[in-house]
Amino acid sequence: MKSTQYSEKTLEHFRNPRNVGILEGDDVAIGRVGNPVCGDLMEMYVRVKDDRIDDIKFQTFGCGSAIATSSMITELVMGKTLDEALEVTRADVADALDGLPPVKMHCSNLAADALHDAIKNWRSGTKLEPLSAEAVAAAGKGCGTGVTAEATTIQGTEEYAGKGVYTEVDDTSVLADKRVLVLDKGAASAKLAMTLTEVTPRVIFLTELQALALPDEIATEIKRSDVKVLYQSRLLAVRGEGEVEKVLIRDLDEEDEYELFVDAVVLLEP
Amino acid sequence: MTSSNADRIFAEGEVYLDYQSARPVDPRVVEAMQPYFTERFGNPASLHSVGDRATDTLEASRADVAAFLGATPEEVIFTSGATESNNVALLGYAKRNKRKGDHVVITEVEHISVLNLGKYLEQEGFRVTRVPPDQFGRINPDKLRARITDDTILVSVGWASNEIGTIQPIAAIAEMLNGSDIALHVDAVAAEGQVPLDMSAVPVHLLSISSNDIYGPQGVGALYIRKGTRLAAVTMGGGQERGLRSGTENLPGIVGMAAAARIAAAELPAEAPRLAALRDRLIREVLSTVPDSHLNGHPVERLPNNAHFRFEGIEGESLLLSLRDEGIAVSTGSACSSKTLEPSHTLISCGLLHEEAHGSLELTVGRFSRDSDVDRLMQVLPGVVDRLRRLSPLYRKH
Repeated sequence: MKSTQYSEKTLEHFRNPRNVGILEGDDVAIGRVGNPVCGDLMEMYVRVKDDRIDDIKFQTFGCGSAIATSSMITELVMGKTLDEALEVTRADVADALDGLPPVKMHCSNLAADALHDAIKNWRSGTKLEPLSAEAVAAAGKGCGTGVTAEATTIQGTEEYAGKGVYTEVDDTSVLADKRVLVLDKGAASAKLAMTLTEVTPRVIFLTELQALALPDEIATEIKRSDVKVLYQSRLLAVRGEGEVEKVLIRDLDEEDEYELFVDAVVLLEP
Repeated sequence: MTSSNADRIFAEGEVYLDYQSARPVDPRVVEAMQPYFTERFGNPASLHSVGDRATDTLEASRADVAAFLGATPEEVIFTSGATESNNVALLGYAKRNKRKGDHVVITEVEHISVLNLGKYLEQEGFRVTRVPPDQFGRINPDKLRARITDDTILVSVGWASNEIGTIQPIAAIAEMLNGSDIALHVDAVAAEGQVPLDMSAVPVHLLSISSNDIYGPQGVGALYIRKGTRLAAVTMGGGQERGLRSGTENLPGIVGMAAAARIAAAELPAEAPRLAALRDRLIREVLSTVPDSHLNGHPVERLPNNAHFRFEGIEGESLLLSLRDEGIAVSTGSACSSKTLEPSHTLISCGLLHEEAHGSLELTVGRFSRDSDVDRLMQVLPGVVDRLRRLSPLYRKH
């Protein structure tokens, strides 16, 4: 079965999703699951009155089935008590859509999980905020306390010194058209990242923090610039064949590691 | 000719922007093939006059395909398509030359058939190195050179990326390897019919092409084998095609490929700039009308028919489904549209993050594409992107 071989009902919900949007107020709980890295992020907003779901809305970044399952679950639980809503399973969502392609079954899981997360947050009194720009970029679910940066050694920075690892950049033209990773070392590194966008289309600013700890005007400026900011990310290692070709990054929120192809790493001396 | 054929091939309101996946067979090719199913049938291995006629047809077709490649007929064998050509070339060369060394160099941006052959060669005891591209998907010949060792016997680089359309510096790589004992294989499927492939000018040893990518029938391909390049057979049978591709030749298909090659050679000088104009319109209009959109691949060194984008905050499969509802056929590098749920390896090796690769859109035009196809896409695309962004929690920054 092809991954896009959806039932008519799934396609109909994809085309005309019900209950799209957000809800606000003291009687609203928010649930959030998924990770844009995997290609989906779902948010459920539930307004609770007398232990019943009085209103429900969602926003979803994802494929056709992610959008359709979000829409379907809002229809299934509207007006139900919270206990009844918790009994709605992923299978119920898939069945209500006349089935999903096997490879897409995890999407129905996400919709049920997002709803359950919202109900859990309501009951525990946990108040999630709608995603801020930082949180959108941080792309995570945990919106708790900030992560404190630990001093760690980065493998390979000495080995690749002069071969793509820079501790200072006097002449930005040496980085022309390179994929440059700039490590967050404060305002000077943020300014350098923005300057580099004049010579190359690909500049990534890597910070271990959840929100930039920079002077306001610089933080605003870098978010508006062409610099791609990666939050809650730790540089673990620099790799390559004789010169910098990849870095290993740890996603501190998802506790996940991945390789990113780059040509240069800038680690300004403090 | 072009516009009337487009009306015959595509239904009213249907817009096809996925020539990279499959191309319609040119009606002139169909006409050339027709007699070879019936009155001009035959098996070239038969010794009677019907067999002789089939042999003559096979060899005339081989000469046409050789001419398309700037090669001699003895340097061309027919296969069932480019995947088989890649198998015959890489496995056949590695097997035959194993005594000389056990190291093979490929790139991170190859077609899946070469990538999977790389994995297979590793299982068979070879060492395989993959050269990373720059941010535009281009291979730097110096980076490739740095990976060559005394044990390297074979290098394989695609002429152009089938996905993002970036053209590789094949002439420079071929010159660099020229005179060494290392063979160069090139998968030219994405490039054939769009850029000239002249084996008399570029010292490539092995080159794979397919018939469908020049508007011939599916299920036929060819492998160019430079004189003096030795391969071991990887399929066993009756010894057809110099023993390298056993099995009775697909005569109607081969006739079709030859007709397609003649047409492609004759029309390339006019067709390439026509396609490039459509591509440039797509790039210009998409980037200027869709906010937070980016071009993937090389700004200049790219195939005339390829425009590849990514859009912030949305996911490619949703985009594909929405365009499908409007009668527009496209491709995406999104994980959700793949069997493995992994995003495109090509986009990742260009340095994109997973979430960026998910929001990509691949548009490829071809012989029957017209300005009205671009008009129709541009009527729909900005609204579709906007709708999906309004659904998305990731697109709130503005």
